[in-house]
Amino acid sequence: MNLADVLSLFSLPFMQRAVIGGVLLGILGGILGSFLILRRLSLFGDTVGHSAMLGVVLAALLELPSTWTLIGFTVAFGLGVIYLIDRTDLGSDTVLCISLSGSIALGTIGFSYLKGYRGNLLSILFGDILAISNTDLILLSLLLAVTLAWIIISLPEQILLTLNSDLAIVKGVPVRGHRYFFIVLLAITIALTIRAVGILLVNGFLVIPAASARLICQQFVPFLVTAAGIGATSGVMGMVISGAIDLPSGPSIVLVQLFGFLAVALWCRQV
Amino acid sequence: MYQNLSVPQPIVTVRNLSVMRGEYLAVDNVSFELLPGTHTAIIGPNGAGKSTLIKSILGLVEARSGEIKLFNTGKQLKRLKPEIGYIPQKFPFERTFPLTVSELVGLGLNSKQWWYSSKGQRERIYQALEQVHLTKQAPQKIGTLSGGELKRVLLAYCLVVPRRLLVLDEALAGVDATGEMEFAALLDNLKQEHNWTILEVSHDLDLVSRYCDSVICMNRRLLYQGSPQTTLTPENLLHIYGSLISPTCHHHEPSRRTESF
Repeated sequence: MNLADVLSLFSLPFMQRAVIGGVLLGILGGILGSFLILRRLSLFGDTVGHSAMLGVVLAALLELPSTWTLIGFTVAFGLGVIYLIDRTDLGSDTVLCISLSGSIALGTIGFSYLKGYRGNLLSILFGDILAISNTDLILLSLLLAVTLAWIIISLPEQILLTLNSDLAIVKGVPVRGHRYFFIVLLAITIALTIRAVGILLVNGFLVIPAASARLICQQFVPFLVTAAGIGATSGVMGMVISGAIDLPSGPSIVLVQLFGFLAVALWCRQV
Repeated sequence: MYQNLSVPQPIVTVRNLSVMRGEYLAVDNVSFELLPGTHTAIIGPNGAGKSTLIKSILGLVEARSGEIKLFNTGKQLKRLKPEIGYIPQKFPFERTFPLTVSELVGLGLNSKQWWYSSKGQRERIYQALEQVHLTKQAPQKIGTLSGGELKRVLLAYCLVVPRRLLVLDEALAGVDATGEMEFAALLDNLKQEHNWTILEVSHDLDLVSRYCDSVICMNRRLLYQGSPQTTLTPENLLHIYGSLISPTCHHHEPSRRTESF
């Protein structure tokens, strides 16, 4: 495919929506993923992502709108898991594994009860960023606006509770409220990201850009900006590469993130 | 110490405080008062409920019964928190945490938009670091600090806004003997300068006898309370620890050896 073909491909509305979606998802994943990895919640993102299978099956069984059902399910599931972690003496990894296994088991059983064509449900495993709609873009823009407002209003409090929750409580930070609100933002982001890249790759969007930024940044605000920048750049580059050499879009974006991380890791070792 | 003719009002009043940790009664009916400008150490064996007691005062752990009154007001703890500085026993974080020393100190400011920090705020951060002799480390990542330096940075975090009460939970755990001495001397100087009231959990009886005005000895219940001279007697230590020599008793100067207690 020559340059003219690539340019004509990106003049198509669905490709433009996919690129904008990739950028918005990359920025959101970079920002929320920064807190996710510092709070050691990487496994949490994976668990909520995989539980989405149950959410999709429920939406299909009950004939509910898929986007809103998935958002509602991931938020409820995420809050439920955090509540269990807070209320039990079990380790968080144990609670997460139990929740993951339970949701996958229920999702698989529910899946077997579905009648008729089930191929579109399988797409939840891999997602389809090319199918991103204008409604999805509006939702992503709103979510990004809320996330940025949340950061601007409470960044020092978020950093303090990430660093040491006791210190934050003594300073008067509403730690529990902030934690639960973060989980809500994260769960909605996961729900919307899954539609684009699938449950198998959703955690890459959250973890890889933030991990790369963490290797090169000394200060917190540059760390957040870098993670968001890497997420956005990966979104554009992944889409261009997938369009130019006809590769699946979501995995192409994650591969760009991965190669970026490897380059940063090697560069840091040399410095 | 108490030259004022009028009776000073206590900064902290604890009455009949009991705190559970799970099924275990960690603090049993403890009462005491801290007067302004005093430095009080809580001592006792491991599992005596010392950390639980101060966590309860700070609102980190819920009390089962009893009363805690701060700054002699009926105000809720939430409103009084900006006046309390706290240095926890453990401060675990990954060494790659992207935060510099000056950013950590800046988190102590009562500002929500600290990254737009004004010249005034930057000056306050610098002054706080100057008081703990760490201005050179300001741009360093916190993961590059030694244990003693990190504790001094946390002290600067407390210094960056005016405090009335400083609570330290074994703040010197994991710090070497030299670092301990430097920190204790620095803390004492700052206490005089800022007229802080200090409540700390300590295992170092040598430093306690040197710098503290009063000692609270506990083993779930309050055992002894008073000046170091009257509380840290051989008989009391035997009762508290079951041995005359506390396993964590450091000797910083030959002339102040704890065997003299």
